[in-house]
Amino acid sequence: MGRILAVFSLIVAALVGVAFTDRPSPRADLTWIEPADFNTLDPQRMSHLPDFRIAYALFEGLLRWDTLSNDLHVVPAVARSWEISSDRLTYTFHLDPTAKWSNGDPVASADFAYTWQRALMPETGADYIKLFHLIRGAREFTEWRAAQLKAYAQRPESEKSPAAAQSLRDQTDRHFRETVAVATPDDHTLSATLVRPVPYFLDLCAFGPFMPVHPPTIERFTDIDPHTAALRQRQGWTKPPFLVCNGPYIVERWRFKREMRLARNPYYRDPSLARADTLAVKFIENQNTALLAFQSGAADWHSDLEVDYIGDLLAESRAGRRDDVRAFDAFGTYFWSFNCTPRLADGRENPFHDPRVRRAFALAVDKKAIVEQVRRGAERPATAFIPPGSIPGYHAPAGLPFDIARARAELEAAGWIDRDSDGVPENSAGVPFPTVEMLVTPVGSHKDVAQVLGRMWESTLGIRSKVVIRETKVYRASLKQRDFMVARGAWFGDYLDPTTFLDIHRSADGNNDRGFSDAEYDRLMTVAGNEPDPARRLLILEEAERYAMEDALPVLPIWHYAQYYLARPADRIGGLRNLSAHPRLIQYPFLLEVAR
Amino acid sequence: MIPLILRRLIQLPLIVLAVYTVTFVLAWALPGEAVLNDEGRQPPAEVLSALRARYHLDDPSRFYVEYLYRASGLMWTVESVKGASGSPPDHVFDLGPSFRYEDWSVNELIASSLPVSIVLGLSAIIIALALGLGAGIIGALRPNSLWDFATLSVALVGISLPGFVIGTALLLMFPVWLGIGSVGSWGRPADILLPAITLSLPFAAYIARLTRMGMLDVLNADYIRTARAKGLAPPAVILKHALKNAFLPVLSYLGPACAMAMTGSFVVERVFNVPGIGQHFVAAVKNKDLFVIMGVTLIYSTMLTLFNLATDVLYRWVDPRIS
Repeated sequence: MGRILAVFSLIVAALVGVAFTDRPSPRADLTWIEPADFNTLDPQRMSHLPDFRIAYALFEGLLRWDTLSNDLHVVPAVARSWEISSDRLTYTFHLDPTAKWSNGDPVASADFAYTWQRALMPETGADYIKLFHLIRGAREFTEWRAAQLKAYAQRPESEKSPAAAQSLRDQTDRHFRETVAVATPDDHTLSATLVRPVPYFLDLCAFGPFMPVHPPTIERFTDIDPHTAALRQRQGWTKPPFLVCNGPYIVERWRFKREMRLARNPYYRDPSLARADTLAVKFIENQNTALLAFQSGAADWHSDLEVDYIGDLLAESRAGRRDDVRAFDAFGTYFWSFNCTPRLADGRENPFHDPRVRRAFALAVDKKAIVEQVRRGAERPATAFIPPGSIPGYHAPAGLPFDIARARAELEAAGWIDRDSDGVPENSAGVPFPTVEMLVTPVGSHKDVAQVLGRMWESTLGIRSKVVIRETKVYRASLKQRDFMVARGAWFGDYLDPTTFLDIHRSADGNNDRGFSDAEYDRLMTVAGNEPDPARRLLILEEAERYAMEDALPVLPIWHYAQYYLARPADRIGGLRNLSAHPRLIQYPFLLEVAR
Repeated sequence: MIPLILRRLIQLPLIVLAVYTVTFVLAWALPGEAVLNDEGRQPPAEVLSALRARYHLDDPSRFYVEYLYRASGLMWTVESVKGASGSPPDHVFDLGPSFRYEDWSVNELIASSLPVSIVLGLSAIIIALALGLGAGIIGALRPNSLWDFATLSVALVGISLPGFVIGTALLLMFPVWLGIGSVGSWGRPADILLPAITLSLPFAAYIARLTRMGMLDVLNADYIRTARAKGLAPPAVILKHALKNAFLPVLSYLGPACAMAMTGSFVVERVFNVPGIGQHFVAAVKNKDLFVIMGVTLIYSTMLTLFNLATDVLYRWVDPRIS
């Protein structure tokens, strides 16, 4: 017995020792909760909203948005001023000479050129590489580099060596300088020429992937694979003490899934911009725990509350029993995708290939009922794809209403008529409408929405359906292989222009999961792309969206998203000031301030 | 004892290799694109193929061999011996990068989460031992009494109630209503207490039943009657004489219980936001985070094998009758 006791006392002593050495830091000026740890702090690789949120605190692009304005216009950041050529193709930026990296190095125009080249290299894996292809010569550069890498990989082993790989890299750098229309006449001037006039290019200059990285730091963490000649970025440069950034804050400490702490960047050019001295991010995945943590005072803000009892919380809010649940319109739409290809994955004929069938299915849906009775949140029922009112000067189309008679008429016009009076419509060959498989992922309210949609379709059109639940990875693969009939979907806009939504319905777009290929839609989008007059361009895009939402229907929009925050009102003690209400919901952490 | 340890240590790499191979086949068969973020944007084909080539995702056999070469420490050994081509890799056992958390390597993820799970798991087992032995002894001393009934019922509740119910109830009770402790933080000793109690309850319940049965058997034995007859104080009889034998089944249960407590705490980790290793078992598979799946499995199988070895050694040491 004594021996056992000895072993246990040892373990207990070790535990107590560990417990007392592992202490959390004191409370920061502003603490907020994110539901998951960041995917990456690398601006060129990121594509998640929370990643951008933290990146805006750490990095500074050429421009910044005025997030407290209604139209979210751009204001100077690293670029103090800029000019646009009369053909609206060439942008020249004049950089602030006092801008510095967090190690004291000056921020030079060459840093931007380096960063944009980095984004264009295929091996970097930039999710937003397409936005960089708006620069003249950029797309060709990426293709050239990909071809060179392929040719290198096929060389005999004797012709591969670190020196040969390095030589290809030098050649690539030269090729970029010679062929891509990004110029750095001096340290504080940067110019870029575009392939066509892009009305939202300034908006992109404020967008995360265009923010600069510190070239010497990146180089320190990059090596060249002699077997493939590809640049290999090693991990670690995004973490302290290595991360060098040019925004208002630096990362003081980052402990995976526990906490990230930011402190002021001592070299930041405009110290008065940032309100709080220290910021802390807590990562709490379980939303019930996150709610309890906020209520117990552990944080000042929860950036993304996603609970299925959100309706009850909002009701408590309306009844005046709580003031910390805040709903904002977001820049995204929840929809259902129709598989628009002629045949289903198993070779059967696809009834949804016919736009009349898609229209019938859309007309049969009472979106207001879904939003109010299933979702029970602050979402707005959607008849258009782009959230109305989110883009200045752009007017959303009316879309299709909830109209049972018209839904039945459309289905009949498509040849689906209940010929044998069994309640299910048949086509002219007497084949009944197949059971509609509704593809969802297991999280959230997708399954509930699917069941309600199915009931609406059955009662209006007589068509049966069943819900197919697949894990997210499988669901994504099914979409890519068009192995579905209808599937839940969502899209959030990236920049302040209708094309950020409308591009995904173009035939060749990589995010077109529906296999939607419509000559008229593609034509309208191309015409809009070539239209020099911004106002006329918006009109053409409005027509494209109207065509997609009233005639062609690649997707059935259900609601425009709302985003839920936990934050006390700005006028109370502990309340959060300077939250942006613009649907893009860009919350610069450096602007946020807790009322004390 | 020494031959046993040696034999087990020789078996270890073979067991781990078998686990690695099976995991590799299963992970490779998972549907979905590993290098893509689910909610991210779809990059063009040349970007995708460049990324796949970088991680050998286009060539399963190369991936299998290369990963084994890095993870087993062979690469580190070879590079260190050669020494010529620059510095050796950062880690002896290089488990690769995470696809989902791109700024972290699997080594870092495990280094930050494994100690947390060990501390939480061992704390839970110690609490379970204290609760379980106490309840078991009380129940055995007065079998079929109200006390016995009460402890058995509590044990039943401990086994039946899922962790997220007990965990949420404890969170509501202590930090939210009473203001004791905090929600969703990790680091202070008080932060460990609530999750450890939640995690300990099913183990405590099992230990209580094992102890009660063991004690009931032993308490009627002749040598206990002798001890009482020679006038020993009742506590000494129970703790020194009876418990010594009644404890053996508990001890053999402790080995697997420790392993389970350290790795099977996924639910408790979620409720209390504990940054332990349990999350990786579930999340990595959902994300098809290949290197995390492989790395965590390798570490876990190595740990489990060593743990069983430790239990066997401890058992022989405590009970010399077993050889």
